[in-house]
Amino acid sequence: MSEGPRAEHMIEAVLLVSAAPVGTSDLSSATGLPKPELESALASLQERYSPETSGIVLRNVAGGYQLTTNPGCAAAVERFREESRPTPLSNAAHEVLACALYLGPLSRGAISRVRGVNSDAVVRNLLERGLLVEVGTDREAPGSPALLGVTDEFLAATGSSTSDDFPPLASLVSPEELSRVRDRLASASAPPEDAGEST
Amino acid sequence: MTFEPQGRSLADFTVELDVYSGPYEWLLALILKDELEIFEIPLRELVESYVGARERDPAGGGLERDTDFAGSASALVLLKSRTLSPALDPDAEGDEDETLSPQELAERLTEYLKIRRAAEHLRARFAANAGHHPSSHTLPPRPGRLRIRPDRVSLAARRAFSRLIDPPVRHLGPITVTLQELAGMIRTALVTGPISYEVLTRRMDRLNRAVAFAAALSLAQEGALTLTQTEPLGPLILEPTALEPTAMEPSA
Repeated sequence: MSEGPRAEHMIEAVLLVSAAPVGTSDLSSATGLPKPELESALASLQERYSPETSGIVLRNVAGGYQLTTNPGCAAAVERFREESRPTPLSNAAHEVLACALYLGPLSRGAISRVRGVNSDAVVRNLLERGLLVEVGTDREAPGSPALLGVTDEFLAATGSSTSDDFPPLASLVSPEELSRVRDRLASASAPPEDAGEST
Repeated sequence: MTFEPQGRSLADFTVELDVYSGPYEWLLALILKDELEIFEIPLRELVESYVGARERDPAGGGLERDTDFAGSASALVLLKSRTLSPALDPDAEGDEDETLSPQELAERLTEYLKIRRAAEHLRARFAANAGHHPSSHTLPPRPGRLRIRPDRVSLAARRAFSRLIDPPVRHLGPITVTLQELAGMIRTALVTGPISYEVLTRRMDRLNRAVAFAAALSLAQEGALTLTQTEPLGPLILEPTALEPTAMEPSA
């Protein structure tokens, strides 16, 4: 009597035919594996498909699991596919994404307000690249502007499973830097009478 | 982008930014790196330094770099003017005309500083995770898995079949002025010689001021007058040209 395919094999097969990360519930329903066995098999696969041992790696990103090529082999893959890596994002684009990730979902106007400069063009570029998406509308604001949030593509591109994988915003800046900015502005709260002339 | 020291006020600092992300980035760079008093930022010299840097490296960035610079510089001028003049425009309406106290600016800058650091963190995460190519197999649509939510279907149906509500426009009021009327008024005013735009529009409301400006531009384009502004943001002078019939000497 022949045995059925092993759990790892079924998971491998399902992941191979999916470009997007596959969640554990979808993996479980596709393979018929109970959750404990599924998790055990995934742990085993992550060892097998680690960057040190394989040209394919198993990643836990965007709320699911995904087989991708090893970044160490990226040059060969890109030569074969005759494609170049996307242009790196600008500082402005990273700022807009940070706004959407940490303060979002929020409107274009709110993003521009945080950054102090119009961000419409940057937002449009990020929407086209699939890193931002409209997740709703702000019905309280005039004109009911669209609210923007980050996408699963963003999570995958940053190697994150969920938005909670990012460090808290407050931990990214030192208290010394914050107090330095406040002190500088506080000391300037009484501008000299001729201060405007330098503009 | 590098600003090398030039002139008196810029002699002690250098600002290096790859791309300007906005005026807050600029201010933070000045505050955190150069300890410069923000109310004394010599914008004119900063612009001259930028132009100098641009001439030394004409191929470095091109139009995009210039646009970034112009956008950030104008936003910084606006920001600075609002900060320095809390009562700049008592008739201001909405966020576009809001004023900023130094305390509010400090809050904005500290919030922006956090976002700036978060952006740097994201940049590192993008770089560390670059080069992963997923499978090219895109799953076909799976309509059997679509969930139908009656409440959302009902909402969509209501929206689709409901009559659109006309937006309220009563606040707009009737249009009471035309370009021709104000062009005529400008021609009349120019009979006595040059006049400043500020004097011309002193008693006008916003709509009339805007239309008067458009009328002045139109007349300047026709050659009926010349617009002169000797310094940036200085008085705008309307001068009759020699060909303007209303400004000519009356014939004997």
